[in-house]
Amino acid sequence: MSLETVKAKDLALGQEFLTWIWFRSERSNGQWRTTDGIPFGLTFEGRVMVQSGEGEYLETAVSSGPGAELHEAKSGLLRGKKVHQAKLRMEEDGHGWHVTVKAEDFSTAGFKTPKVDFRLEEGQDPDGPFLEKMYLLERALFFFDQMFFNFLKLRFSSEWNDELNAVRRWVDATTGPTL
Amino acid sequence: MGFLSASTGLTRYRLPDEVGDEVLSNVQLRLKRFAFVDIDQSMEERSFGWVCFDDLLDAEWATAGPEKGPYLVFSLRLDTRRVPPAVFKKHFMIALRERVAQLAADGKKFLSKDQKTELRDQVRQRLLMRSLPIPAVFDVVWSVRDNRVYLATTNTKVRALFEELFAKTFEVELEALTPVVLGLELLGEAAEGRLTGFEGSMFVPIRKVVGETLGQTVMRSESDDIGEKSDGYEKDAS
Repeated sequence: MSLETVKAKDLALGQEFLTWIWFRSERSNGQWRTTDGIPFGLTFEGRVMVQSGEGEYLETAVSSGPGAELHEAKSGLLRGKKVHQAKLRMEEDGHGWHVTVKAEDFSTAGFKTPKVDFRLEEGQDPDGPFLEKMYLLERALFFFDQMFFNFLKLRFSSEWNDELNAVRRWVDATTGPTL
Repeated sequence: MGFLSASTGLTRYRLPDEVGDEVLSNVQLRLKRFAFVDIDQSMEERSFGWVCFDDLLDAEWATAGPEKGPYLVFSLRLDTRRVPPAVFKKHFMIALRERVAQLAADGKKFLSKDQKTELRDQVRQRLLMRSLPIPAVFDVVWSVRDNRVYLATTNTKVRALFEELFAKTFEVELEALTPVVLGLELLGEAAEGRLTGFEGSMFVPIRKVVGETLGQTVMRSESDDIGEKSDGYEKDAS
């Protein structure tokens, strides 16, 4: 498979996944569970970029605001756009992570974990704060992978058609009757 | 911007091929073989290589070894000499006028294209010698246990540089965890065909024209056909 084709598949899969987690998060008020039943929160926060087409027909719309309403981006969904980049907030036991994820390669920007104190106390392992930071980074990535795993299982199952209709109804409903 | 910053950019990789014990037991030696070489006192435009995670000046790992708990950590240091375009433009203009004046004194009128190119290179070299290399450091964390390598940047050029140097140092290729690659890892090789043949779904509601009266088109969405039927999501909402 050519590099261009692989990139196109990555983009299609990534965009569909990010759009789906927006839908799912709204439906479940941001409440998710890992396959082992561990609860965590995931909401779209503040900024989302939606995109459609390619080459000279590429169209992008960026929507930002304080809440998760992001009406302009949702209007884009109605015109066939999908989420290309999104700022996500994850939560577990009152601790919060912020991260911006790109659909095309799942690279992450502005990755903020719960605060880690780097002032060492007497007798503390000098690598302690680093290990804590890595634990927190990997925790958020674990939640992300869990969501992707759930998406893939559903996407390649016979239940996808029902889910697809639900997403379409959400797209229709969230953009209002005038559109 | 590194792993210990309040906010970081991150690219994730995995190693598709197994890394032998010979490599893992000689990580520090291999890092030293491709360690960063300082160019402050030379005329080199660019230098890059590995340095200690805890100290960007330490290319000998005297401060600390690369092991931290279950991770191997080190940093890619990239120093680059740059001449700002406005500075170059000004000095090229000065040099050009001097050369034209010199030619006029010799009774000549024109500077050839090749002579101009040569002058341009001379000015650039002279300015590069006077500019200090700008250092940049990109942290690397290798979780051997989980077969993950994290690079603290999403910059495409730095990623390419890193991937090449990592392959040279450890004799193993990295694979970025893009959606298809991550999907393969989560679902297993059996899902390869579905992932590489992936075609996106249409999320736009399929609308149908159901009537047209006095120029007014009445639109009806596909969801109207389903009426109150549950979408099947609520019952398994987590």
